Amino acid sequence: MNDDYLWDKSGEPDPQIQELEEILAPLRYQPKPLQLPNDVRRKYFRLLAIAATVLIALLAAGVWLKVRKQHTIPPQEAKSVVPSELHKEPEIVKNTDLSSKPIVRKRIRKKTFSQRERQEAREAKEQVLLALRVASEKLKLAQRRTQGPSLNQIKNQHKVG
Amino acid sequence: MKSLFQTLKTPLLVALLVITPALAVRAQDSRIQMSSLDHLATKAKQTVAVTLDERLMRMAAKLFPDHGDEKEVKDLLNGIKGIYVKSFEFEADGQYSPADIEGIRSQLRGPGWSQVMSFNSKTEGNVEVYLLFNADKVGGIAVLSADDRELTVVNIVGPVDVEKLSKLEGQFGVPDLGIESKKEKEKKNDK
Repeated sequence: MNDDYLWDKSGEPDPQIQELEEILAPLRYQPKPLQLPNDVRRKYFRLLAIAATVLIALLAAGVWLKVRKQHTIPPQEAKSVVPSELHKEPEIVKNTDLSSKPIVRKRIRKKTFSQRERQEAREAKEQVLLALRVASEKLKLAQRRTQGPSLNQIKNQHKVG
Repeated sequence: MKSLFQTLKTPLLVALLVITPALAVRAQDSRIQMSSLDHLATKAKQTVAVTLDERLMRMAAKLFPDHGDEKEVKDLLNGIKGIYVKSFEFEADGQYSPADIEGIRSQLRGPGWSQVMSFNSKTEGNVEVYLLFNADKVGGIAVLSADDRELTVVNIVGPVDVEKLSKLEGQFGVPDLGIESKKEKEKKNDK
């Protein structure tokens, strides 16, 4: 028997081999491009979108907190600052550890109102007093007209009720 | 477009879930929206508008000293997040409409608000006092006063200490409120 058919499909084929070929034909290698399932791609994209949203939200929160912090003035007493104090040179302390360079300690200045802030605060104070005046006038008017119990008593009644 | 919406649906829902509680917390704020009254300024003879947010309140509070009479005001302002006043005085009757008042009143029908004083008269006008209660604490106050030629809305946001407010009577041009605690009345009577 000639084995050429098995080697390079030349020569006379063996019917048994032909039969086997026909049976195995569907399993023959067929070249085609790799395709990822659609579901996997969509799932991955969705996760990416969630992560991006969370990241953006965190960034926005961070920016918002920073801006808010900048606008917030730490609670401290408004203090008048003598201009000469502001321009004082940093205090130089003599070095004790024998190194040649002197240690320069920077004096930490207390944060105080700028002139603009002070003006704004003064206006706000005036507005507070004006608002309290109007509020108290109207409260007094309400109480005088109703001749009822004081607000304190009403508040207590609410607690009981 | 449809696929984009489908893709962004889940992140949008997540964002909505994050944002909604924050907005809900803000909604419980005792601030009243008074911008609907702004159009009255053109008709008014005199307008008083005070808008003090938390930042300005803190700044103003710093200018009140920690001693003396003004300390009382400083103590009162402690914790207050804002004071908002709109007051219009007109030269003629009927310059504002009932809808203007209703716009404010409808907000005061919201959850938490309680009307604690009300005086309604055709000749003398209306005065209404509302308090916002958070549990058993006062979280805000609103006063609505209206007569033929005047409309005033006062809104204080934050824990208003009524006791301290009553102690301010007659100080710094703040007129006597006539609010006295029971103990003080008894003391006066004893004297």
